[in-house]
Parts: sequence; C-alpha cells; structure tokens
Amino acid sequence: MDIIVKTAGEDLPSRIAQMFESVIHQGHGSLVLVFLIGVIFGGIIQYTRVDKFEKIAGFAMLKDTIVPKMLFLTVGLTSIGLYFMVEAGGAHYHIKPIIWQGLILGGILFGISMAILGKCPGTGPVSIAEGRIDVLVGAIGGLLGGLVFTLFYDDIFKPLMGESSGSLTLPEFFPGNEHMVVLIFGIMVALVAIVIPKVEMFDEADLCKLPEGERPDRD
Amino acid sequence: MHRLPWWMGAILMSGLLLMTFSVFGADRPIGASTYVPYFAGILFDLDPEKYTYLKEIKNSGAWEGVMLFGVLFGGFITSVFLTKTFRFSLIPTGWKKYKNNSVLSRLLWSFFSGFVMIIGARLAGGCTSGHFMSGMSQMAISAMIFGTVVMVVLVITGKLFYHTKED
Repeated sequence: MDIIVKTAGEDLPSRIAQMFESVIHQGHGSLVLVFLIGVIFGGIIQYTRVDKFEKIAGFAMLKDTIVPKMLFLTVGLTSIGLYFMVEAGGAHYHIKPIIWQGLILGGILFGISMAILGKCPGTGPVSIAEGRIDVLVGAIGGLLGGLVFTLFYDDIFKPLMGESSGSLTLPEFFPGNEHMVVLIFGIMVALVAIVIPKVEMFDEADLCKLPEGERPDRD
Repeated sequence: MHRLPWWMGAILMSGLLLMTFSVFGADRPIGASTYVPYFAGILFDLDPEKYTYLKEIKNSGAWEGVMLFGVLFGGFITSVFLTKTFRFSLIPTGWKKYKNNSVLSRLLWSFFSGFVMIIGARLAGGCTSGHFMSGMSQMAISAMIFGTVVMVVLVITGKLFYHTKED
C-alpha cells in the first residue's frame, strides 16, 4: 500500500509536510541527518547544562562563566578545523553580510533579552523540552516577534537593517598570510576560553536530585 | 557524572559544527533563530508567497524547523535519562535569588524578552548559533560585530536588571 502525503494544501498538517519536503529537496543533508543534527545539538546543550537560566543569566551577572568558556573553545577549535576542510574542498564558507545597523540594533535587543530570559533561540527549546514553562511563554512571545517581523519586514525592519557592506572575513585583511591568521585566531580564541576564570552558579533544584558523590558543586 | 565538563561540550559541539559544514553532512552552518518566523508563518496561517520575508527564509526556515524537532527530542531524552533534570517549573532558582519571587513577573518578562529576542536576532540575521558559533568559526566580521555588541549589552543588562549585590 502506498502512503500518500498531501503537500499541496494550506492547512497546518500540509504546511508541516511541506517543511519536510523542502528539506528533502534542498540538498543540505537528508531529513534524518538534519533531525539527528538537532538531536545531538540538543543533547550537547542539555548534557553540559548551558541551557540553564543560572548559566546564561548567570553569565550576564558575571557569576557564571561556563557559557563563554564553552563558546570560545568551540569557535577556536572549529575555526581551525573548518579552514582546512574548506581548503581541502570538504566544506564551504557561508558568510553573513555586514549590515551595520541591523547587527548593532539587533545585537542590543538580543543582548538585553538574552540577559532577562536567560536563554537564546538555540538553548530555549532545550529548556522547554526539560519542562520549563516560563521559557515556553518566552517562545510564545518569540513567535509573536517572528510574526511582527514578517508582517512589517518591508516597511519597517528591512529599512532598519540598512545596506550590506559586503561579506568580509578576518583572513581577507591579510592576503598571503591566511594560514597564519587562521592559526593565530583559532589558538587565541581557544586560549581566551581557557584563561577565563571558571565561576559557577548552581541550581539547588537540580543538584538535590543527584547522589551526594556526584554533585558538581562538591568537587 | 550527570553533566559534561565545558571543554568536552566544546569538543563535541565543534565536531557537530564541522560535520554540519562538511559536504558529506549538510554543507551549511547551524542556525537556530530562522525557524521562529518560519513557524510563526505556519501557525498564523500567512501565505508564504505573499510575504517577502517568508520567501527569503523558505529553505533555511524549513531546515531549522526540522532541526528544532530534533533539538526538542534530544533535549527531552537527555533531560530524562542522562541529566535527570526534567521537571515542570515556572520560575528559575536564580530568578528567585536575584530578581523576585513572583511567577507573574517572571512570565511577563519571559514573554517580553522572547518577543524582543526574535526581533533582535532577525534584524542581525542570526543568533548565538548562527552568528556566534557558526559565524565566528568562519571568522566572519559580521559575527564579530554582533558577538561584541551582544556580550557588552548582556553584561550591562545583567548588572542593571538583577540585584547582584545582595549576596
């Protein structure tokens, strides 16, 4: 028996089916792979606990440094690995444009809300999956934000973002020395991650469920 | 041990990013904020052909949407079986300690900051994943501008918004 999936409609199930269909045809990995990337992404974030309010808002209060340490080390390692993968033809760069107004305005709004919500769009879903109702309310706010952005994109937001000044990367400023720049950048960023002093804010509500010997605050 | 150390998380995340970038993987960066307007378009029944922005994010929104299902699944499974932190809660412990004990206050601020966050991310064209992790790993200048602004504003907001001196 053939399974027929109707993907032409405009109702909710058809729109979701169209989403899967789009991923199948856009050539950026199979449906299973993209789903799996999400599973691993969510698993790493959950297992390192960086989705917690105490980690992200804690960093905003400078009482927890796990998030910047992990972010910087990730960037340091990936930048070197990716550069040589691109050189070998195993990957491509996908550089986002420099839109000064959009980046600065967006960065300000993003920084304020990240400190207050204690999540970002990648870590938020992980917290929701963990049962955090307040983050679910934040996601509803986010969906409305996405709606407003879409509705007023042409009239307000697109002009607000300003013109693109091109897609530049750091090595492009040092022609002839690209390899050196990449190595220095990668090592420097990784060093920053290691040098940042490790400070942690713990959540007793999670810790009290662990056996005494496994509590990270008693190391 | 019910959690991974930060350096192990960074090594794994780096591996995942490289695998995603690879031509044998997805041949694209990881992003995690385009799916929000994409789902908003679906939930509020906006015609994808009528709105410029929905046309622009047609492919990346769908890609991140499928990834989001994975993130929810991965986060749920890990929280139940590995970190054992799954529980329903309305207010974080840190909020009680450094802000207030009001659930209503937390929910209203969550709603407001969620709204502002997506506007901000979409204005900048990325978030912590797309700009900070994927962008900085490509040494993109745009990601460095965004990352610097976010870090500075994040710490200033943290100082002003929370009562951090009452330890």
